[in-house]
Amino acid sequence: MLNRTIEPALKEIDHINFVAPTKHSVSGRVDLYHMKEVPNETSRFELYFDAGKAKGIDSIAGFVNGLLLSGTPDKNSIEINSQINTLGGFLESGISVENATISMYCLKENLIPILDIVLDAIQNVSFIEKEVNEFLADRKVGHNVSLEKVGFLAQREFQERLFASNDVYSKALKLSDFETITIDKLKAFHSENYLNGLEKVVIVGDLDAAEINSIIESTKPFVNSKELSFATDLSHESGSFTVPKEGALQCAVRIGRILFNKNHEDYLDFLILNTIFGDYFGSRLMSNIREDKGYTYGIGTMVAELNHTGYFMIATEVGKDVLEPTLKEIKFELNRLQTELVGEDELQLVRNYMLGQLLKSADGPYAMTDLFLSVEVHGKDLEFYNLALSKIQNITAERIQELANKYLNWEDMSVVTAG
Amino acid sequence: MIKFERFQLENGLRVLFHKDETTPMAVVNTLYDVGARDESEDKTGFAHLFEHLMFGGSVNIPEFDTPLQMAGGENNAFTSNDITNYYDVLPVNNIETALWLESDRMLSLAFTPKSLEVQRSVVIEEFKQRYLNQPYGDVWLQLRPLAYKEHPYKWATIGKEIEPIENATMEDVKAFFTKHYNPSNAILCIAGDLELENVKELVEKWYGSIPAGTKYERNLPKEPVQTELRELTIERNVPSNAFYYAFKMPDRLHADFFTIDLLSDALGRDKSSRLYVTLKKEQQLVADISAYIMGSLDEGLLVISGKLNEGVTFEQFDSALWALMDDLTSTKLSDSELDRIMVKFRTAKEFQDQGLLNRAMNLCNYELLGDPDGINSESEKYHQITTDDILRCAKNTLTKSNCSILNVKADKNAK
Repeated sequence: MLNRTIEPALKEIDHINFVAPTKHSVSGRVDLYHMKEVPNETSRFELYFDAGKAKGIDSIAGFVNGLLLSGTPDKNSIEINSQINTLGGFLESGISVENATISMYCLKENLIPILDIVLDAIQNVSFIEKEVNEFLADRKVGHNVSLEKVGFLAQREFQERLFASNDVYSKALKLSDFETITIDKLKAFHSENYLNGLEKVVIVGDLDAAEINSIIESTKPFVNSKELSFATDLSHESGSFTVPKEGALQCAVRIGRILFNKNHEDYLDFLILNTIFGDYFGSRLMSNIREDKGYTYGIGTMVAELNHTGYFMIATEVGKDVLEPTLKEIKFELNRLQTELVGEDELQLVRNYMLGQLLKSADGPYAMTDLFLSVEVHGKDLEFYNLALSKIQNITAERIQELANKYLNWEDMSVVTAG
Repeated sequence: MIKFERFQLENGLRVLFHKDETTPMAVVNTLYDVGARDESEDKTGFAHLFEHLMFGGSVNIPEFDTPLQMAGGENNAFTSNDITNYYDVLPVNNIETALWLESDRMLSLAFTPKSLEVQRSVVIEEFKQRYLNQPYGDVWLQLRPLAYKEHPYKWATIGKEIEPIENATMEDVKAFFTKHYNPSNAILCIAGDLELENVKELVEKWYGSIPAGTKYERNLPKEPVQTELRELTIERNVPSNAFYYAFKMPDRLHADFFTIDLLSDALGRDKSSRLYVTLKKEQQLVADISAYIMGSLDEGLLVISGKLNEGVTFEQFDSALWALMDDLTSTKLSDSELDRIMVKFRTAKEFQDQGLLNRAMNLCNYELLGDPDGINSESEKYHQITTDDILRCAKNTLTKSNCSILNVKADKNAK
């Protein structure tokens, strides 16, 4: 008779196969990374530009990024999109505080033709007035929808408090930005940060050496020759901040502080603390605030990185009537991590979970490339993940408690609620 | 080509095995043939509430998540109007842990009052977060009962309203489990670098002794044929006027299902589609617009939705849209237009197929439809579709008498 109360024996993960993409120089410090081992017809290219939000004021970086394919003297936006769609390309553009990206997913046979279309569009974009006005009007519609969401309002306020020491990093899109923008400003930003702003090229797909060389040649004219300059000493504004939103049924909560990135000696151990606290389904916060109290559909924590620093954040949306009890429970869980040692069962659970997730993050060419890029940006190589493996295997309850006391004090946090 | 093996246990459980030697991870996907369409009208939202309760411990195992995380895995689930799907992704070496957990909750749940109380409030918060506390969040709560008069697609998976979730009792929960959660109503797919013999042995070990249960016979009210245009305008405190045009389309197994999928691509998949180019770029009537099909198993919907530009009236947009429809229902797409749509289709399909979880879910979906090999003939069926087929389907589908329109009027003083 099968005894269902006895769980099957577990096998430990002691080794993960990390594969780096090959590196090719484009020009100067700018490199192309190529992950060739793709067992199917899919491919992706990504262009990284030193054109993040912090490169300009009044939201100009986001506007230029959104207008990159809006038309050239030879082709309008409909024609550009039609050419890309005829080749089956799926475009994604993204912008963060410190960089801007253009990504394209397509079949490998179409990668180079699509890349040529995109590069031509970026090089010759002429910021046609009609296109610019349409784009701004659409963004405004989207922005007005966002303003109705408590999550957006809390996030925006949080960013302002988090990056309080730096005017450029802290500023979010505001309605007046739609009025003050001009075509001349767009052109100047584009010329400064795109025509002379390419930082990195990433190719995933089974392309041959000749194809990679042709990509190197065609991206070379965009290479950034300027010095990179990112904020080094950001500091946040601790305290409590509320954003009123009439009629909201829920409150959004964002709590956090400036922290560090992979270059800090405490980073990896802190990541384990972060997991225990709020970064998996069985975390302290989920167990208490969702699974025990039912206050929320979800609550989580994260560690985000910037070029020279990073930050920690707790995020949730809770019923209006349970906002105070939720904050009380978050404080309670912080305090518990600082005063009580994590039990060995829980520590083992988190060790195993994190190792399984690391194995998954290295599974497949796309995931593996992204895993590589997240260390490359901090000047590290894949050895970092072997270090991570050993840190996870050797973490102690004392170390977790030490880090909780060092970095997770409620008084140090920016606490934002919107609702 | 996605290779698979299929076998069935004596208790009726259908099992698919898909071998992939290239990954260290494995997927255990379990599809239960029950969705919101199987709820009674006075207890809507129940299939989804029940999905939450499936994580509250089973008869022999107090907690579902912890042992799976201990095995390095993670899991999630979703409920649709048609099905409830649970999946576990974990290192392949620990596959047995997932089978142990999944089989125990197929056998029986712990049914603790605490779990019901907590998940009830979690689901109510989910209701608020996703449907009530978002601009345009309640659109589907309004559009479904407009488009469907009899068929249970008239309510959303979250439920018609919060009350039935608040009032759910433990007896309701147990009855639902007995009716729908047993091997004869389930499909299991295991994917990863494993051997068939080993998979058979493990599945037999953990699932073989679960009682078959009674196969649930679905007998849903049939939706009467729609004969006239339906229109509803609601006023909400939202920033822009929004529109939703829902056209009835045939069920998933109908020969025209894929053709209408391509028709929706032609209408509104991307920035080269008819709606975008004509109504947005040329006529500047809308801020955004797109078209898609719901993909439901019974008679479904092709939906066109978007937001109006400031200063444009619903009437202006409506006549422009029907003019565009006239064109689509009288003239074939050009060959180059169909080529463009097909390259996009092929690309998307290639990306979908590379994910192990996607393959496992899709195999279960095709088994539910009656033939798991459908996963491999699907592309060929799409490629055989001609511009004549699309024209015929456009004529049948894109008519006023087949359409339900929901307009959301922006009003600062509305709720």
